[in-house]
Amino acid sequence: MAYLLPFTPSATPPPPDVPEQKPTKSITALKKSALVIEPHDSLSSYLVKSLNDAGYTARTAQSGEEGLRLYRECAPFHVVLIDYCLPRSNGQVLDYCQPQQHGIELAMEIRQLNPSQPMIIAAFEYEHAHEVPRPEELRGVPVLVGVGNELRQMLGKIDVERAIQELTTSDLLRLRQFAASRMFALGRAARGRTGEDLLSEAMLRTLMGLESVEKGRHWNKNVDFVRHLTGAMQSIAHCWKRTFNDNEPYLACELLKFGEEGEEISPFESLASRRPTVAQDVIAREQEDQILAIFKNDREAVAVVEGLLEGLKKNEIVQKYGLAQKRYEAVLKRIRMRLSRLRPDEHGDEHGR
Amino acid sequence: MADRRNRDHLERLWDELAECVFRLSDEATLAESTETGADPQEEAERTRLVLQHALQSVESVNRRLSSLGHTINPKSWKSDGNVFQNRCLNCGTILMFTAGEPRCLALYTRCPAATKGEVLSDRLFQRPIS
Repeated sequence: MAYLLPFTPSATPPPPDVPEQKPTKSITALKKSALVIEPHDSLSSYLVKSLNDAGYTARTAQSGEEGLRLYRECAPFHVVLIDYCLPRSNGQVLDYCQPQQHGIELAMEIRQLNPSQPMIIAAFEYEHAHEVPRPEELRGVPVLVGVGNELRQMLGKIDVERAIQELTTSDLLRLRQFAASRMFALGRAARGRTGEDLLSEAMLRTLMGLESVEKGRHWNKNVDFVRHLTGAMQSIAHCWKRTFNDNEPYLACELLKFGEEGEEISPFESLASRRPTVAQDVIAREQEDQILAIFKNDREAVAVVEGLLEGLKKNEIVQKYGLAQKRYEAVLKRIRMRLSRLRPDEHGDEHGR
Repeated sequence: MADRRNRDHLERLWDELAECVFRLSDEATLAESTETGADPQEEAERTRLVLQHALQSVESVNRRLSSLGHTINPKSWKSDGNVFQNRCLNCGTILMFTAGEPRCLALYTRCPAATKGEVLSDRLFQRPIS
């Protein structure tokens, strides 16, 4: 005979004269929403508080059946938290004698209703996440086994996943173009890496930043996600360049030029010796000359490149060369597109060399 | 003119070329992609996939290391600016990877200190003995 415990809802029932509020969909529209399906009051309170601290509004359910009903009425939620050891309810009571693994079944049902619904399985009875048995379909669902930062990190990752999903086509194309431009600027320091590698690295730093600011790049949610990624890409690209310059300076033979009669001319000869950045200066000048040579027939492009190389600001360039703002942007686009065709990763060209 | 130029100014040129994509309207951004002969939607989705793939990469690397018998503390990944590093608690091998290229011998070789026979997939998540 099954031993049945009376079902006791955690929330105090409303006074008779106040009609019970019917769950509405508005909760999901107002701010980040969560559904917590947790039979234990203390754990439920802990999870709800943690979610509130992370900017979520949470609905709670004590049984799988109640949780599924709420889910059907109010889905989708930004996250659904399910206790692994969820007892079944038998009408009005929770049956604690049945195997308490209903959380997994519930997660599977929700997965079937909405395969992209972010979920977290709470299994505080276990010490390690890998010990929690679950079907292959739920392998990707994070399992919460401890208190502290773990839930915050999981929610942070869900935020990042959502931010990626919400990127528009234009956002994604801009990110792609930005990454490609930064890689082009790296020249040899790119070491065969592409814009996609830079994007991946930026995402990885963001992921590490969820755990600790020291380990990665923390995403401040007040900052637009695209801007966050471009900031990360910029600093990574600078880091790659710095590391490359420190460890792999150009070989003098790579910079050799040949005179009209075929004699070797080292560019180092024309520079003051013993300067610590002599190689870098040569590289920079080489790059400048190459860029200017590419645009030798495009007067406007040369003007903009010259202006930027002189350290002029946009307004100063516009004024100095009598360009309209729109024209300036069009010229920049022309330069960018022309240079992008020289990218070694796409065209096998040695970076315009 | 050449004397006034330096590497900082060259950097400014690169910065300006990279930044100018954010001053383009959505329509201009899509048009630019089309001009290069690419399908904007396809390019965009490919980019999204790169981001999503990177997001899963740490877990993938952790799973891969685990299946090879390496035991790490998953919270101990550290970045030196270029690569992410951790250390196998069994064999002491330094494990490294980057998002773009998981290039580490340990990702392809079994942990020599792991128990012979079937490697338990849960070894990875063992916490270090304090």
